[in-house]
Amino acid sequence: MNPDHSAPDPELDGHTLAELGEYLDRGRTPYDPSIENSPGCRLALANLTRLAGLSGGLLTRQAEREPDRDALWIAGLLEIIRAEIASGRDVPVAHPDPALRLTLTEAAVRGLVRQAGDTLGGVVMGRCVLDGDVGEPGAVIRLDLSCAVAYGLPIAPTVDWLRERVRAELARHTELVIGAIDVAVDDVYPRGGAADV
Amino acid sequence: MQAFALIARRHGPLMRVYASRLLGSDGEADDVVQESFLVGWRRLGDLDRPEHVRAWLMRIVSSKAIDRMRLHRSHDDIDDWDPPAPDASSPDRIVEARLQFDAMWLALNRLPAEQQRCWLLREIGGYRYQEIAEGLGLPVSTVRGLLARARQSLLREMEAWR
Repeated sequence: MNPDHSAPDPELDGHTLAELGEYLDRGRTPYDPSIENSPGCRLALANLTRLAGLSGGLLTRQAEREPDRDALWIAGLLEIIRAEIASGRDVPVAHPDPALRLTLTEAAVRGLVRQAGDTLGGVVMGRCVLDGDVGEPGAVIRLDLSCAVAYGLPIAPTVDWLRERVRAELARHTELVIGAIDVAVDDVYPRGGAADV
Repeated sequence: MQAFALIARRHGPLMRVYASRLLGSDGEADDVVQESFLVGWRRLGDLDRPEHVRAWLMRIVSSKAIDRMRLHRSHDDIDDWDPPAPDASSPDRIVEARLQFDAMWLALNRLPAEQQRCWLLREIGGYRYQEIAEGLGLPVSTVRGLLARARQSLLREMEAWR
């Protein structure tokens, strides 16, 4: 129980602040008389409770600092969400039974593209626009993508790889005829360890 | 969509501050909040109690921010940790409660990145120790230690306001 990093505090009657924090996180259960009967511990608990009480307000207050900037930002955000969700056109999928009409939503297709990119390793997808008449079977669709690439990765081969992968994924799950795949690399992010492997 | 716009206006700014503190980058925070709203929109049906919407959104932001951290986790390089923004002064910083929040905000910003993250995920994101450990790729014992140190430092900084 005793975390290795800090020795028991004499003022806390043999307990550590870590223990008290965890006790509080558990909702002061099970009731521990050695904590509850120690004035030092009770004082520390009161301080920790006060701290926790302030923490919610702390971020809220920071969030309220720039209402104008936020209003603009939220409006932009909602615009993006609307475009992502509301404008989703239907993408037909052929079925042997002519009485059945199967469709994928455009948002689902975008999801496939994003997934293909984000799971590539070293790429984080941004914009994804399907340019062309996705509702018309056989129409050639151009993809307009943007992404960030991990620092140090050679950009051209990475983008080629991304194109190949997106093309393969769409071929597997949709009947879209994909023409050009335009990729704009608009950012580079610091390269990490685990996620890139 | 109207109702969702209301939710976004109400909680977006908090989500943004939270994500920005977790990631140490405003640009990434904006992306994370955007992704979180998309997820939130799609899963709005899962939200059983509307009064929990804030906690629910904060959990989504937490998990999206953790995804980002995983993406470029190595260690807390000085390079990928923006220095805390200088605190913008407002003319009426005289109320004690405000000063107290300011002191706490500065104290939070001074904590090492991993301590901040643990503390934020616990106190704001409502994550359990185990979830924090999994999210940050750390042993639970380390999370305990980081959290305890974060609390200790914050309490020490706040001493003046007791």
